[in-house]
Amino acid sequence: MNDDLNNVLESAAKTVFTTMLETPLEIDRSNEPFFEGDYHIAGAVGLTGAYNGIIYLYSTALFARKMTSRLLGMTDDEIEGDEMVNDAFGELTNMVGGVIKSNLEELNQACMMTVPSVVRGSNFSIEAVTGVERRSVYCICDGGRVLVEALIKTADTEELA
Amino acid sequence: MAVKILSVDDSKTIRLIISRAFKAYDCQVLEASNGLEGMAMATREKPDVIILDITMPIMDGMEMLSMLRANHELRAIPVVMLTAEAGRDTVLRIAKMGVRDYLIKPFKEEQIIERVSRIVPLETVTPAGKAKKRFDDPIKFLVVDDKAAILEQIRAGLGDTNWQVEGVAEANIALLNIENNKPDVVFLSTTLPENTALWLVQKIRSNIKTQSLPVFAMMVKTAMQDQERTQQLGYSGVVTKPIDYTELKTKVARFLKLDASYRYYNQRENILWIKFPDPMTSFDSNEITTNLNSKISEAVDAGLDKVVIDIRQAKRVEMSIVELCFSIVKIAQDLSMHVDFLGNSYVQGLVNQYHETKAWHFFDTEEAAIQFYNPNKSPAA
Repeated sequence: MNDDLNNVLESAAKTVFTTMLETPLEIDRSNEPFFEGDYHIAGAVGLTGAYNGIIYLYSTALFARKMTSRLLGMTDDEIEGDEMVNDAFGELTNMVGGVIKSNLEELNQACMMTVPSVVRGSNFSIEAVTGVERRSVYCICDGGRVLVEALIKTADTEELA
Repeated sequence: MAVKILSVDDSKTIRLIISRAFKAYDCQVLEASNGLEGMAMATREKPDVIILDITMPIMDGMEMLSMLRANHELRAIPVVMLTAEAGRDTVLRIAKMGVRDYLIKPFKEEQIIERVSRIVPLETVTPAGKAKKRFDDPIKFLVVDDKAAILEQIRAGLGDTNWQVEGVAEANIALLNIENNKPDVVFLSTTLPENTALWLVQKIRSNIKTQSLPVFAMMVKTAMQDQERTQQLGYSGVVTKPIDYTELKTKVARFLKLDASYRYYNQRENILWIKFPDPMTSFDSNEITTNLNSKISEAVDAGLDKVVIDIRQAKRVEMSIVELCFSIVKIAQDLSMHVDFLGNSYVQGLVNQYHETKAWHFFDTEEAAIQFYNPNKSPAA
């Protein structure tokens, strides 16, 4: 188990959520399955360099809307449809990715980062292909659940583990 | 004048956060979603500061920054870079580009305000719907002086106002008071022990929440060199000891932009009354002049067509008072308003000695004016 990478994911999630949403974020060690049956949203940024892979931020569309409202200081009525939520969720993903990238750089694991993208829908899952290691950090904040996940190519991570 | 801030970011979320951050300040926040739009906006609007994201489609922040620096009209505009990547390489690259400052995402609103306020002074705006503070509001004073007698003198000197004067003897206690009680204005003795006055003023200016708080240096009249240095040290102005309370009130009212117009103007009995106080200080004449156009327009909007200038309290009629009356007469007559005066026989005699003012008509009392303009009204009403 690569503790460094897990710590980096946890630290990034805490930094972004406490700074931008001004709400404490707790790590849920129960690892219970999230979001089944809900309408989902997933933000993604790619990393390449010492680590090659993708960072995901994953939640329900409903909670993403609540986070958007909190992030922008708006009421739910003021949120103009899914586009605004997608943009805000993409930006949160970008920030989580940015903190992860910076923390990895401090561990001498420099990476480049891609622009964020957002997918939404129901009943979809993100699967890892062979040779990719999955690290998941389950978080609870403001009564909602968020999953921060890293899918990293094993070949690059083996030396670090 | 509003500070122009250009936010260039492909994320609408970040642009909204930046707009919201500066809502409480006298700022105009312009937006562009990439470097190309940003350059066009910067050329057209010449912003005071640009907050620039790095990673953007079409033209990224680095390219836009290069273009800004190559343009002789835009190269001096300070740029604050905003980036989600805090790595050493990124920071070094930003520093080499000659930006004024940078901020790493995630960031708190206070941080972006603080970065911008280091570059341009930001002034808070009165929230919409909230009335401007009036001269007779309970303005909160904090006097920081280790001599109790000074505090008592200031309390006595401002005794004819509703202003609340609180005093502390030490700079560190003053700082706590400022954070907790949020005074409107601070009077700080420059002779506090161990140079703590300077420490306090620097603390106030380095905190975004207090940096625009008016802080007046209190010093003896003879300390001319020190008076000249006060602005460089971060003070808003100087109050010399012994304190002239008329001057002090004038300074505070001007600095806090207190509305004092109610002391001179009021609408009653279908007449706009303009009352000259005695003594007529430069503050009074300035307040009357500043509000003249708006008050006469308000009266016309309200259907009034008569103005009465009340100079009964004047013990002397100086040329400055006559000139002010002339200005009022001219503006009112331009708007087809009829102007008369209220004054005792002494004042009438003084005014009527000038050729230009001979035609001015005086009433002895308010009742006489009201009766004249409202002949159908019972005098007792």
